[in-house]
Amino acid sequence: MDDKIQNRGGNMENEKKMKEIIFGHSAEKRYSLAIMQDIQREFNYIPREAMETITEYLSIPLSKLYGMATFYKALSLKPKGKYVIKVCDGTACHIRSSMVIVSEMEKLLGIEVGGITPDGLFSIETVNCLGACALAPVMVINGEYYGKLTTQDIVGIIERYKGGEVQ
Amino acid sequence: MSERIVKVCCGTGCLANGSKKVLEALRAEMEKRTIDIEVVPYVKATGCNGLCEKGPIIKIYPDDIAYYHVGLNDVQEIVEKTIVNGEAIEKLLYLDLKTKKRIRSHSEPDFIKKQTKIALRNIGEIDPHDIHDYLAVGGYQALKKVLNISGDDIISIIKKSGLRGRGGGGFPTGVKWETCQKIDRFPKYIICNGDEGDPGAFMDRSIMEGDPHSVLEGMIIASIALNSQNGYIYIRDEYGLALENMHRAIEQAKEFNYLGDNILGSEYCFDIEIVRGGGAFVCGESSALMASIEGKVGEPRAKYIRSAEYGLWGQPTVLNNVETWANVPVILEKGNEWFSKIGSPNNSGTKVFSLVGKVKNTGLVEVPMGITLQEMIFDIGGGIVGDKEFKAVQTGGPSGGCIPKELMHLPVDFDTLEAAGSMMGSGGVIVTDERTCMVEFARYYVAFLAEESCGKCVSCREGIRQILKILTDICAGKGQESDLDLLAVIFETVEKASLCGLGKSAPNPVKSTLRYFRDEYLEHIRDKRCRAGVCKDLTEFYIDESLCKGCGLCKKGCAVDAIDGSKKQPHSINQSKCIKCGNCIDICKFKAVKVR
Amino acid sequence: MESVTVIINGKECIAQKGEFLIDVAKRNGIGIPHLCHHESLRGLATCRICIVEAIENGKKRVVTSCVFPVMRDMVVETNTEEIKGMRRTLLSFLKAEAPENDQIELMIKTNGVGDYSRFAMNHGNDCIMCGLCVKACEELGCNAISTINRGITKEIATPYEEPSSECIGCGSCAYVCPTGCIKMEEGSGIRKIWGKEFKLLKCSECGHYIMSKEQYEHANQKLEIPAELICENCKKKLIAKKIVEIC
Repeated sequence: MDDKIQNRGGNMENEKKMKEIIFGHSAEKRYSLAIMQDIQREFNYIPREAMETITEYLSIPLSKLYGMATFYKALSLKPKGKYVIKVCDGTACHIRSSMVIVSEMEKLLGIEVGGITPDGLFSIETVNCLGACALAPVMVINGEYYGKLTTQDIVGIIERYKGGEVQ
Repeated sequence: MSERIVKVCCGTGCLANGSKKVLEALRAEMEKRTIDIEVVPYVKATGCNGLCEKGPIIKIYPDDIAYYHVGLNDVQEIVEKTIVNGEAIEKLLYLDLKTKKRIRSHSEPDFIKKQTKIALRNIGEIDPHDIHDYLAVGGYQALKKVLNISGDDIISIIKKSGLRGRGGGGFPTGVKWETCQKIDRFPKYIICNGDEGDPGAFMDRSIMEGDPHSVLEGMIIASIALNSQNGYIYIRDEYGLALENMHRAIEQAKEFNYLGDNILGSEYCFDIEIVRGGGAFVCGESSALMASIEGKVGEPRAKYIRSAEYGLWGQPTVLNNVETWANVPVILEKGNEWFSKIGSPNNSGTKVFSLVGKVKNTGLVEVPMGITLQEMIFDIGGGIVGDKEFKAVQTGGPSGGCIPKELMHLPVDFDTLEAAGSMMGSGGVIVTDERTCMVEFARYYVAFLAEESCGKCVSCREGIRQILKILTDICAGKGQESDLDLLAVIFETVEKASLCGLGKSAPNPVKSTLRYFRDEYLEHIRDKRCRAGVCKDLTEFYIDESLCKGCGLCKKGCAVDAIDGSKKQPHSINQSKCIKCGNCIDICKFKAVKVR
Repeated sequence: MESVTVIINGKECIAQKGEFLIDVAKRNGIGIPHLCHHESLRGLATCRICIVEAIENGKKRVVTSCVFPVMRDMVVETNTEEIKGMRRTLLSFLKAEAPENDQIELMIKTNGVGDYSRFAMNHGNDCIMCGLCVKACEELGCNAISTINRGITKEIATPYEEPSSECIGCGSCAYVCPTGCIKMEEGSGIRKIWGKEFKLLKCSECGHYIMSKEQYEHANQKLEIPAELICENCKKKLIAKKIVEIC
């Protein structure tokens, strides 16, 4: 996994893309969050090189930027899986047993919330509310919604991603 | 009829239900047929209809036919029967559960009929992508009107209307504006809070998605009253569609000179920028939100000096939430008297609620203030799913509380809810039933706050940590009776010694459940029992043989094959296999699955 | 500057409008207990111990004296039963957060403590996340540390929890820390702090180790005239000597 991160950061094209995103914003301190969000969107996490470049570009101490990156939940300093499973644990989902879905998902993939499978394919997150309360309990995998889930549905859904049926 | 309009709801709820595919299929089907038929229907993507439970929803005008749960298989039939021949398709119409009759018009079901739409007036009716649609329903007329009156007059109208902030606190909007107006320090800023962090609330998202111009118009009106030149809209980053639609609306408003320099030839200039939130509930607190806009960690500051005076970058700032802004243009257009007649005393107007949880009609509803909880949950919401027993309703999100079924006669307004130990909040209404454990429900909110507190104040951070520890113990059967008194001591300090609203209100979910459901707490502590069957350590499901018909539904629905039994014979649960997910109890039609 | 009258615990005190309550009290000989407040650093208002009761226009409320600006005439009580009770609860929270800490224990001796027998106790780290260290580091212009995460997982750390290139090993963070929990070790001319080692420079007069090389360079960068490598003690001696010479 470590090699993979190195490659992602060291790759010339990624570096170019990263710089495009960062320098595409004006060099004002208030854009620090926006820049990090854009980097997050592109790379699924914020590589260290990006943090260092932003620090220099906006003249913000790395400590402050690091504080922000760990404060805001939308940002991650660690790479995420190819498929990010976001199980909603908003109130409506919670009272329709979303945590049972989470724990079964953890068992199935052998990882905990916040973790990533060794093959780099899946990571699990819980989110506060996807605003799709009518579908509770609901989860989203890379933008695809799965609503009215039961513990029975999980295996089938994951298999489809593993088998490459869904991209 | 020479022309028909087909409106397909493309709010997040319907999109998640597959409405985009329905929309595309409808378009394709029409294109295929245009040559053969004379009618030229077109499909418009509208914002959220509110009745998300029944999505995807499509409406056909001028026939005034609404279809629910529309699938791809229905598209051909809809085009053939309804669009070509104007004929309604029975099975896709709304089914009224009381009368068991199908209802043709979208405005007919109780769900819609009992509502009064102000903030949601255009949602689901206009195409949010097109400013012309907004203009056609009278959009930006209020702006034109206020260009000819003074700032004092604008503020006076808002004050007299009695509009109170829809974001949660219920602070009088006009008073806030006035405070800011009186300060002779420029620049002044105007902020729209679209961060909507309450889990289970999505009205602001719906407004931004479905009627972005009404929010802009509200902000522009305030900019004129306060002589502000810069506005910011802080939107949750997860709200992709809201971001897209707001961005587009700003561009269009600029093109039409409703925004930008010398608005409609006047001396006023106002620009709006969108800032994306980073995913932090505490950023709903105004000073934390402002810190976030400034590019800092979203920690609140002491607000002994109000943000109307000392806000964004230390300048006078007015911050209102999305729904409040959407109310502003209508009030100026129709007058404060019109507005203050709606609702109840000291609580004028309407409030949008997201009715979710164990209720049949999940969705967004807008009702006049003062409607009772009973009306909202049973008449509009259609009652409880699966005919389970209603337990309580939670309002106000993590800062609010639970109200038991005995108090369903209470009117919904800022002051009554607060007196009952809850609060209005941004408008999340979560309906719970017998399968909701009130202790675990309270624990859920505390765990939420433990993660979402900024963590600055000892009282909030450490107080929440210890409340969470105690509640977790109780849910695991390790509680003590003295815990309940200890909790009360902790609450006082967390409430009074914390800096911001998040901390001050953090004990509410526990306090209100302790107030109304103390027996459930004691049952967990004394009898080691969770009657709802939620706390796994205290739960054992069993099948009552006298009630079991052996239908096999539970067996089929069990993910771990823990249920045995042959057809038409009473089934039983293998306790060593059971993961206590509760699927069986939820699907059993004979109430044969019980909690020991 | 406009002045206002604050009656603190019955004593009439004159304050400048906008002055922080804790400072007004202190100037008048009324000590308000606190942990995260430091004279030279702006109020952080994180420990909450300095809460007091403020009465304005007959309305009572609890305010945080280190960040509460006195704007009008008012009455303040710093030790009501209610306030003392809340301080005890706050101290029970802090006791759970840093059970072995002497400073917290000392504060408990004078203020009492609430029941913490049911609390989750945090052993091993005495940090109470007051943020004074971060503030001190920021004021020095180094910004080597910051708060990270949020909620109950909040911590104070260097970026990536690695030795920071910004840290100059000045130890200011350790000096201001109210619980003395920032580990700083010194021996044979080396100072260790935040996982980084610093070579110390000696006082040119007495030969005692006085500051890290990086700290010396940082000071020189900020000052236009190079700083002297001399300890406080020797500096005083030299000045005294000079005065004697002049006289």
